[in-house]
Amino acid sequence: MNDSCTELETELKALRPQCPSPSLLERIGGDLAASGHETPAGHHPRYVAATNLGSWKWHGWRALGAIAAIALVAGVSWMSLSVGVRPSTVTPPVQPAANPAETPAYQPVAAANVLYDLKDEGLVYVDGTTPARRLRYRYLDTYTWKNPRNNASLKWSVPRDEIRVLPASLN
Amino acid sequence: MAAAHEHGAWKNWFEAHGPRLLLCARQWTRSLADAEDVVQEAFVRYWRHQRQLPGDPQALLVTSIRRAAIDLARRETRRTAREEKAEGGREDDGNVFDPQPGEDRERRREIESALRRLPAEQREVLVLKIWNELTFEQIAAALAIPLNTAASRYRYALAALRKELKPVCHE
Repeated sequence: MNDSCTELETELKALRPQCPSPSLLERIGGDLAASGHETPAGHHPRYVAATNLGSWKWHGWRALGAIAAIALVAGVSWMSLSVGVRPSTVTPPVQPAANPAETPAYQPVAAANVLYDLKDEGLVYVDGTTPARRLRYRYLDTYTWKNPRNNASLKWSVPRDEIRVLPASLN
Repeated sequence: MAAAHEHGAWKNWFEAHGPRLLLCARQWTRSLADAEDVVQEAFVRYWRHQRQLPGDPQALLVTSIRRAAIDLARRETRRTAREEKAEGGREDDGNVFDPQPGEDRERRREIESALRRLPAEQREVLVLKIWNELTFEQIAAALAIPLNTAASRYRYALAALRKELKPVCHE
């Protein structure tokens, strides 16, 4: 990198990107202030992506995770009771609590994605005139949730397609 | 008290990093209103659910903003002119940098104009490197491109800018 490039980089770094509008701060404040996953007060974003962890879809995953954990604990307890236990010495085992109110809260700890396929779908025209290349990226997103109280973890993978339209020059 | 502290914490963080994130979002959206929307969604998601994740929050947010922008772009064809009329919408004058005291206004405008003329894939790398201060490794991961491609796009972008801005440089 020669001197003129370094000078240019310095000049560019000196420029300060435009500050977000005060209304954006208000909107974020409104969203963060909203309790739980209620619809935030104030201005709503004009769309919500399906990847939003606060969306109802993630509630479903959380509930599924909690149910699976409870079922696993109950199943293991039942197995230990029914196999290898002599009736004469059976004492009432302490059943693990399956009270949903005590279901521990899982926290997201990791998110990763793997690109497993990339396909060039050819030339397309944006707005009917601008030539562009359409690329399809296929990812496998993996999310890991952990319960800090007992170190239990849940992991699931979701396939995701990402389509990118890149400007193409025909010259 | 805790809520007030929490409020102050996110606000301080956002005031420090918000302008850079907004500049980044503007590379992938059609309007300033769209850029603010995707920044809002990505930041709220980060602050609610991803703050505890390891790694550089700037890189995580850049990836999140990009995904939100791609989701928005997919819906773009189905959208109407509602964005121009959106409540609280901000007029997009095309400027991406804030004026500073004692600056050369014409020079700033010239740089903004030269940036707009850069190919999108070079401009996004430049913005991530210069104003978001990401490493080439982080840029490559965020854009799902090879490391060498990220570095070469950056070099091409600087070279193109230097060529465009040369007359003024030698004044």
